[in-house]
Formats: sequence, C-alpha cells, structure tokens
Amino acid sequence: MEDRVSVRSLRDSFVRTFGSIPFGVSLLAVWAVLTLIGVIVDQGKESAAYFAMFPAPLARAILRLSFDNVYHSWWYVGAIALVLISMTTATFTRVIPRRLPPLRPVAIEAIPLNARIAVTMAPDAARTFVEQFFAKRGWKIRKRAFDGTEWTFADRFDWARAGVLVNHLAIVIIAAGTTLYWWKGFSGDAVVLTGGSTEIPQTHAILHLDDFRYKIAPIITKSGMVYQPIDYVSKLTVTGNDGVARAMTLRVNHPIDVDGTLYYQSSYGFGMRFDVLHNGKRVAGFLNQVLGEGDTLSIPNTNLSVRYERFVPTVDKASGQPAPDPRVNDPAVVLSAFNSGAPLGSVLVPLHTWIDLGGGWRVVPSRYVLFSGIQYRYDPGIPLVAAGAFTLLAGLVITFYFLPARLHVRVDPAGAGSTVGVAATTIKGYSIFETQFGELVAEFEKHVTRGG
Amino acid sequence: MQLDEVLLIIAVFSYAIAAIALILYFFTREEWLKHLGIPLTIAGCFAQFGQLVARYEITHIWPLLNLYGSLSLFAAMSVAIFVVFAFRYKIWFAGGFVVALAAIFLAYGVTWNEGTLPAVPSLQSYWAKIHVPLVVSSYGAFLVSFVLSCIYLVKYYGERSYQMRLAAAVAPAGAAVMPGAMKVSIGNDTPALDAAAASGDAVAAWYTSLPSLAQLDILVYRVVAIGLPLLTLGIITGAWWAKEAWGAYWQFDPKETAALFSWIVYAAYMHLHTRNQWRGMRTSWVSVIGFLSIIFCYLGVNIFIHGLHSYKV
Ligand code: HEM
Repeated sequence: MEDRVSVRSLRDSFVRTFGSIPFGVSLLAVWAVLTLIGVIVDQGKESAAYFAMFPAPLARAILRLSFDNVYHSWWYVGAIALVLISMTTATFTRVIPRRLPPLRPVAIEAIPLNARIAVTMAPDAARTFVEQFFAKRGWKIRKRAFDGTEWTFADRFDWARAGVLVNHLAIVIIAAGTTLYWWKGFSGDAVVLTGGSTEIPQTHAILHLDDFRYKIAPIITKSGMVYQPIDYVSKLTVTGNDGVARAMTLRVNHPIDVDGTLYYQSSYGFGMRFDVLHNGKRVAGFLNQVLGEGDTLSIPNTNLSVRYERFVPTVDKASGQPAPDPRVNDPAVVLSAFNSGAPLGSVLVPLHTWIDLGGGWRVVPSRYVLFSGIQYRYDPGIPLVAAGAFTLLAGLVITFYFLPARLHVRVDPAGAGSTVGVAATTIKGYSIFETQFGELVAEFEKHVTRGG
Repeated sequence: MQLDEVLLIIAVFSYAIAAIALILYFFTREEWLKHLGIPLTIAGCFAQFGQLVARYEITHIWPLLNLYGSLSLFAAMSVAIFVVFAFRYKIWFAGGFVVALAAIFLAYGVTWNEGTLPAVPSLQSYWAKIHVPLVVSSYGAFLVSFVLSCIYLVKYYGERSYQMRLAAAVAPAGAAVMPGAMKVSIGNDTPALDAAAASGDAVAAWYTSLPSLAQLDILVYRVVAIGLPLLTLGIITGAWWAKEAWGAYWQFDPKETAALFSWIVYAAYMHLHTRNQWRGMRTSWVSVIGFLSIIFCYLGVNIFIHGLHSYKV
C-alpha cells in the first residue's frame, strides 16, 4: 500500500515537474546552449587543432567534455530526449485534458474586453440581429437561458485549440524520422578515379567514373581576380541491384538515385602517378599506382619515402611559386621526402621533373588523374521528417493565426430599444484580441445603425 | 551611374532622413515629423526593392546569394514588415529605430559589394531563390520585434523608476513606497503616471503616449508570429536544399545549428508567452536575445565561422 502511494507521489512529482512550462523552457534553454557550443567550437577536428585554437586548459576541457563532437554526444541526444519527454508529459497532462470552457453567464463589465451598444430595436429583434451579424462573420452561435436571462454565445476557431497538439505531434514525427535514419540508414563517401570503379559496401552498387569535368571562371571583381567554380560533373556508369549498367550524369545539386540510395557530387581532387627511377632506369610497377594527397610512396630496399602532399594546378612562371589559379595550366606537386621517417624537406616539383633522393633515386610526378568525390546516403526517415516539418509549419500557422475566441452577448431592454452587452474572452488573454474586438464592435455599431 | 546605384542612393538617403524624423517623432510626438518620415520610409523601401530588381535586370544574376544582396533584402523586408504593422496597428513611433537599423545594415551590406559574381555550383539551385528570401524575411520580422521589445523594456523600466520617483515625491516621510504596480492588463496599468501626465508632467505624458505594456507585448508577439513560421519554413527549405546539394538534409553545419539555436530561443519565447506571469518583461528579454542570436547566426557565422555556408569559396 505504502509502496503504491510512494510510486504515485513519485509519478505525480515527475508529471508536475516535467509537464510544467518553466521546466520545459529550461530544457529548451539547455538544448539551445549546447547547440550554441557546437557553433562556436569547430566540430570534428584533430585534437591538435583545438590546442592551436584555444589556450591549453580550454582545449583540454573541450576535448574532455566532447565539445569537439557536441551533436553526437550522449548528453546532446539526452537533452533532446528530455525535451521530448517533457513535451509529451505536458501534452498529456495539460494540453489534451483541457476542455472548452462551459457556456455560462459572465459579468460583462468585469471582463476587460467589453462593450455596451444602445440599439433602437426591441430585445428579441436585437438578439436575432446579433445572431445574424456574428454568424455571417463565421462565428458559431449558441443560445442559453440562465435564470430567465437569455445569453447568446459566439465561438470562433474552436478547432484551432488543437494547434498545440499539432505542433507537439510534429516534433515527435520529426524525432521519429531522425531515429529511423540512425536505425536503418547509412551514409558514406566514395572516391572514384577517372577510368576507375568503386563498389559501395552497403549497397554493392558499382560506380565507374568515365569522365570528370569541372569549370572554373576567372572573374574580375573590385577586390581583384576571383576564380569562381561554375560546375562539377561526373559521367558515371552505374550498376545497381539489377546488374544492368547505366550511364548517369552526376552534378552538384542534382543527385542520382540508385535503388533508393542517393549519390551526390561532393568534391574532386587530383590523384597522381609517379615514375621511380634508379640510376636513370625506370623501376617497374609504380606507374600503375595512383596516389591521393597525403599518400606515401616507399622506395624499395631503402629507408626512403616520399609523401604526395598536395597538387598545385598552376605554377607562376615568374616566381616559380604556386599561382592562385585553380585551373590546371602548369601543374606541380608538393612532395616531402623522408629517411627512416625523419623529414628531409618539402619541395614544389613541376610535372615531368623530379626530386632527387640521393643514392641514384629519383621520383618523377608523371601524370595526374582527376577523381570525383561522391557522397551517398540512404535515409528512410526523410518522408517522416518532411511530413513532421510541414505539420510543424501548419501547427505554427494555426497557433498564430487562428485565435479561438468567445463572445458573450446579453441583450437587455432599455427604454424603447435595448442595449447589447458584449464581452470577449480568448485562450491567450485579452490584449491579443483588443484591436479586432474594437473593430468588431465598430462594425456592429455601423451595421446596427444602418439596419436600425 | 547605373540605375541600381541611383536607387541605392535614394534608399539610403530616404532611410537616413526618415530615421531622424521618426526618432525625433518618438521623443516629441510632433505630427509633422511623422508625416515627413512615413513617405520617406515607404519611398526608401520601394527604392530598395527596385534596386534589387534593377541589379537582376542588369547582371542576370540572382542578387541575393551574397552578403550584399541578402543584407539589402534584410533591410528592405524589415522596413516592409514594419510598414504593414505600422499601418495596421499605428506604431509609427517605433519606425525611426527600425529604419535606422535597416539603413545601417544596408550600408554595411554595401561594403560587401564584390561586383557581379555568378553563383558557385552549390548555390545554383532554385531552392536558393526560395530559401534565402524566406530566411532573410524572418530576420526582418525579428528586427521589428527586437525594436518593439526594446521599447517595451524602456517603457517598463523607465515607467517603474519614474513612477517610483513620483511616489517618493508625494509620499509622506517614512511611508512605504510602492513600486509602480505593473499589472499587465488592458487599459490603465500606471494610474500614478496617468495622473501626473494629466497634471502636465512632460515625462509622464511621454510614457503614457506610448501604447500600454500589454499592447506592446502583444505587438512583439504578433511580429514573432510572422518571424517564427518564416524561420521554420526557411530552415525546412534550407534542409531540403541541403539534401540536394550536400547529400544530407541536416549536417550540423555552423549555419544550420546557429539557425536552430535562434529557433529554439523563439520557441522558448512562444512558450513563456503562454504564461501570464512571464508575458511582458521576461518575454521581451527573450525576444532581444533572439534577435542578437539572429545577428550572430546571420553575420557572425557568415563572416567568422567557416562551414558549408561560408559563401566565399
Ligand atoms: C520542452 C518541451 C515542451 C513542453 C513542456 C511544452 C509544453 C507546452 C504546453 C503546456 C503548451 C500549452 C500552453 C498553453 O496554451 O497554456 C505548449 C504550447 C505550444 N507548444 Fe510546446 N512544449 C514543449 C516543446 C515544444 C516544441 C519543441 C515546440 C515546437 C515548436 C512546441 C510548440 C508549441 C506551440 C506552437 C504551442 C502554442 C503556443 C501558443 O499558444 O502561443 N512545443 N507547449
């Protein structure tokens, strides 16, 4: 018995806490601050980068607290989960149980939004006029008598009370969509050399890159010459689940769909073939290898190695230094040489020239090969996320633009005519309806004098 | 001089004079200042939209995809949204600050004018033409709500302290001084000030010439009600575009996350606003924070933080 009581009191205090708006808003604040941390602290960098960017104690704290990977940390996901729990609790305890207030008489003058309009009509005629006036403007009319006094109630946008529910449901749908991706989806990067193929591990699709083209335009601006990329295009032959090879064109902003997985043009780069010479004689085997930037080539039977650091599309003839032009005119590579892992230095080596490593060894960058960087992604959650997003939008529009309101109208005889007393209440207080109420009353007065 | 440059100069000058006139109107309530400021504000706004169209006609390049173009639209939309509200809710008293901020952002945008550049491949999408105007329009709405929140806070704190001073002046020595009872309700929320205004106190009269705190609060709410759905739609279209351009609708790029941050702040605003006790001063502060976060998301991230959204390639 006691156990049951304490379980219930625990549950009650959970519901009271999690279902309260201040608590929910505090959780939103926590979520916001965590989100902001990830904006300010660069995400996903090597630890050394943080020590370069921040003082050492701060860098250590960033790494220890996983601020270098905020959005995939357990506490970020946990904060969102708490927001969802709080929202759901509030929805079930505060939003759903809320009922339309019953129709009952009110002290008209005690309600801040009130008006009393003298009309020349007799009370019954005035009541009919009131009904017609508001019904024509979309208000739902109901009449009740309390202690012999007749009241007319006009309601508007009652259905829009569901706006909160729609919003909260939308958030749940979006959360479900993103969870579906974590559960069933995947993504990755593939690099395909011109003339080469790659198999996507998860889908077993085979991408063969027939050709890669890019277009960069030099444009003179006020601040000098700018090289603006215009287009990146991969001509692919793609073999999907059905085993049929199809020619496809992939360009930025135009993904291709192969068996439900989307492929995107994401980057490009320059692979490099090297010729290795020993005492002027070509060493076999090297010309078939293509190195990517950052790859290392080991010289056989020695402790020497050469790292292909980066591609330089154009070398400035006058200075012999890399030029800013990203189009390939006089290409070169930056190579670093090592002996037993110890750096010997880096040099800019134009294509078809060489780096001399001593001992009769020379390495010649001989030919560059363009490669295309392709991102792929299978995300079964997209339809849900999209549906949730548009539901959210609909919810916001309902919440902001359809204000449920009620008019309480009482017509009393006054001399030869009557007075119409009107008071308005809404689900969001009075101020929000002040302007419209003023306009409504003014319109009523205009019509009633015209009608009368 | 090309047509777009002429229109830009007209816009900047119209805004500058309108801002001075309307700020003076804010303090003096001289009607002629308002009548000077309104047409200039509208003229400046038209000139700005005309300028964007002219730039497109001259260069055939969508003018909104760099900071210069988007800041121009930001300024123009702030003023346009304000003008609609000003006519509907008679809030020209706030116009000087909106127009001044618009002029500052426009002038700052001009410093980012790099001439005509075609868009980089990832920006060559019709989504860019939908997403950018939506997001920038939401920023425009938030600028207006920021100005109104600031006026709310000025009135809130100013009235409180002024009412306290009035009360101290009339209270007998030793009597407890009640701070201004700031009950937010329709009508008269500052009786002492109203009485002082009626008896010729100029400062009190100025405070009472502003809408009531409750009305100011609702004005802020109404403008946020424009901004938040626009920001939501902006984020949705941005996500859609990201799906097409970068392969995933959400990658926690700094720009996306900064926009998410602002969105959460305004969602918090909206929730606080459902509570009577929190409506007003607290929500106004949240709205101020919201706009600062918008400026951080807009300019701070574009200029200082590199990510997929930094347009300089
Ligand atoms: C932290 C968790 C949340 C809690 C505890 C919560 C709770 C509530 C409650 C109780 C209401 C009704 C307020 C009233 O009318 O008195 C409400 C309204 C609302 N909620 Fe939430 N909510 C949460 C998160 C969210 C989120 C993430 C959204 C997304 C936008 C959202 C959208 C809305 C909207 C649009 C309203 C209507 C506001 C208005 O009437 O002005 N809620 N929320």
